[in-house]
Amino acid sequence: MAEYFGTTVDDIFSTQTERFRPEGAEGVDAVIAYDISGAGGGRWMVAIGGGKSETKKLDSLPAEFTAKMITDAETFVGMTVGRIDGMEAFQAGRVRAEGDMAMLLRLPQMFTKYVPPKKPITARDIIETAVDRFQPQYAQELDVTVGYDFTGKGGGQWTAVIKDGKCTLEEGLRDNLTVSNIVSAEDYVDLMLGKLDPMVAFGSGRLKLVGDMELAMKLPKIFAKFVPSEEAEAVEELIVLKKIISVDMEYSTGPVMGQFFEGLMEKKILANVCPKCGRKQLPPREVCAPCRCRADEFVEVGPGGEITMIDDTYYASPDPLTGETRETPYGSLHVLLDGCKDNETFWHMLKKNDLFDAQPGDRVRPVWADERTGSVNDILYFEKVR
Amino acid sequence: MSHKRNRNVGIIGIGQTQYSSHREDVNQPEMINEAVRFALEDAGLTYDDIDCVVHGNMELFEMVHQPDLWHTIGTGAYGKDAYRVTTGGTTGATLVCAADNLVASGMYDIVLAVGFEKLQEGHTTGGITNMADPLWSRNLQTGALTGATAGAMIREFGEERARRAAMKLRIDMDKHAMLNPNSHRSFGLDYDQLDDLMENSPKLVGELRLIHMCSQSDGACAMIFASEEKAKELSDKPVWIRDHITIHREETFNLFGKEDAEREETTHRFAARKLFERNGIDNPVDYFDVFEMYDPSSWWGLDWLREFMLLEGDEHLKMVENDELKIGGRLPLNPSGGVVAANPIGATAMVRVAEAALQIRGDAGGHQIPSEVKHALASGFGGTLWTVLTMLEKDLDW
Repeated sequence: MAEYFGTTVDDIFSTQTERFRPEGAEGVDAVIAYDISGAGGGRWMVAIGGGKSETKKLDSLPAEFTAKMITDAETFVGMTVGRIDGMEAFQAGRVRAEGDMAMLLRLPQMFTKYVPPKKPITARDIIETAVDRFQPQYAQELDVTVGYDFTGKGGGQWTAVIKDGKCTLEEGLRDNLTVSNIVSAEDYVDLMLGKLDPMVAFGSGRLKLVGDMELAMKLPKIFAKFVPSEEAEAVEELIVLKKIISVDMEYSTGPVMGQFFEGLMEKKILANVCPKCGRKQLPPREVCAPCRCRADEFVEVGPGGEITMIDDTYYASPDPLTGETRETPYGSLHVLLDGCKDNETFWHMLKKNDLFDAQPGDRVRPVWADERTGSVNDILYFEKVR
Repeated sequence: MSHKRNRNVGIIGIGQTQYSSHREDVNQPEMINEAVRFALEDAGLTYDDIDCVVHGNMELFEMVHQPDLWHTIGTGAYGKDAYRVTTGGTTGATLVCAADNLVASGMYDIVLAVGFEKLQEGHTTGGITNMADPLWSRNLQTGALTGATAGAMIREFGEERARRAAMKLRIDMDKHAMLNPNSHRSFGLDYDQLDDLMENSPKLVGELRLIHMCSQSDGACAMIFASEEKAKELSDKPVWIRDHITIHREETFNLFGKEDAEREETTHRFAARKLFERNGIDNPVDYFDVFEMYDPSSWWGLDWLREFMLLEGDEHLKMVENDELKIGGRLPLNPSGGVVAANPIGATAMVRVAEAALQIRGDAGGHQIPSEVKHALASGFGGTLWTVLTMLEKDLDW
């Protein structure tokens, strides 16, 4: 199984179910399919529903799914463990999504983050870094051999050869060592991680030093302190302050928009007309900006009309009124209502079921809300006239 | 007849941070200070030499009111005259206009202008959605995203040609971005990916796909402006501001639905026409040696080229198709990579002017145009079609 950043794709999916958070998936009934290419890839599906989640490895992808993620194993692991920026991978086309994008964006609420298990550090891990940790400035003119004899579980034998300001590491113990460390592999790890005091270990006989004691005392200088690679690689965690701003706002409509909203409550769409250029404004505005004059005359237009433009939106953006991510795709449209001409279009939403069926030029009519309060929501959406 | 000015104004210092999706390593004043330090170093000045500071960004994006107060420690404005500009997407361009006006008027000899945004700290689409009028449009808007331009171009030029030209321009811009070490996004796209990207880049709105759209970036840009006398004294190669123009009109979200372009000339074409008329420029494509355009998406970049350069029919498509917009081409467009490569919004429009000035100086580095750059144009864009154009010159000879 191919590893990326020390993790396999299997590692991630094998913990998927235990990372499920029912509280983050209320009301969700979805199947997420994963098509992961490259070494260590494969096909998986994650089903979410009824407060439960199930993960399966499959030979072929399910025919029906809510959303599908298509990527390669390295990118998938990299994004999961936070080593590859998901948004950038998405923009560069290394990750593709099909189906309901909003569902993919909700996944971080439905599953806790995958944290790679910490693998215990062994004596071998540490001694193999000896050459990297070697500090030649403290080993000038030395021509010595240092033996490491690790006993017990995870043990082994190594010799560090220091000569001409250089250090090499060999497996096995040389004869005639200048100094030799004899210690259990377990205690050696604790000593190097600072969990076991060297003087205590030496005094109690758990660490034996044989040979040139003066050199033995210099060893902590000749070899820099061991730093576990995870810590060395881990990016410093920066402190950021999280704030959620939520403010109730109130906006005056004014007499002109007020009259327009009153009209909506009676299922009437009112435009106002510029006395100079004759253009209709929808929604009405207090003045005609180009003519710099008040537009006081109101006329009823529509309610039916002809589509001039449709914007079909796939981007999962927040609804500014609720803060909830909108379900995609959805469509907004511009309608030339009956009685209007040229650029006097009216902007509203298109009925979801009409999104892939409606075209510019089609006739539409408004669908009114049962309870109208004088707002944009008094019209639910426009639907195609069939 | 260009704007009346009491005296000429030269750009004598330019500083930009690296643009990036995230700068958690610094807070706002620290990030701004990076750009300010670079600009001061570039000009060979210290804080003491600055008479006045102009600061700008879009408050809703980071939800900090009067951020210029907090940022005084980064701009060095303590005890100096200071102004704040916040005109949405055009902020950076308006900062340049304001600094130019302040120096040209004789009020100040040396002015520092700083534009920034740290978009990771807020919610850009949420912020832009809140820009729309709360009585009606706010409920219908999806941030700055619309597929209207793509739809109109597809109707005018046919699906295949329009989509190809937009994606070709996107790849041209990425090629430029690869040469600019400050780019936030430089993907290494190649022309053999064109068909794949046209089909597989995720759709945002209609035919506006993710790859076409600009990013949300963190970053800051600072520029130093000086009177002609000071600029000649302090700088070997000051870049002269010839003229600038700002055109906007009523909030016109409904105009995105227009069919009849004749009836309502875009602010871009209107601004360009007026600016070129009063400066006696008959053929902008031939006059300018570089154009740094505020191109929020490849569709807009393509469509707006026709507006800004006063082109007709499919002349703008031909410029893309014939490689005329690439570095070394007839009119290099955005050698920096443009807004699709980096978009720290309050700095973005200023970066256009800064990059145009670097081209005139010959200091653009890897993305320097090989031939001499004497005349440069930079555009800013914001709101529902709000246009700022700035003309720069190498020589004081107009």
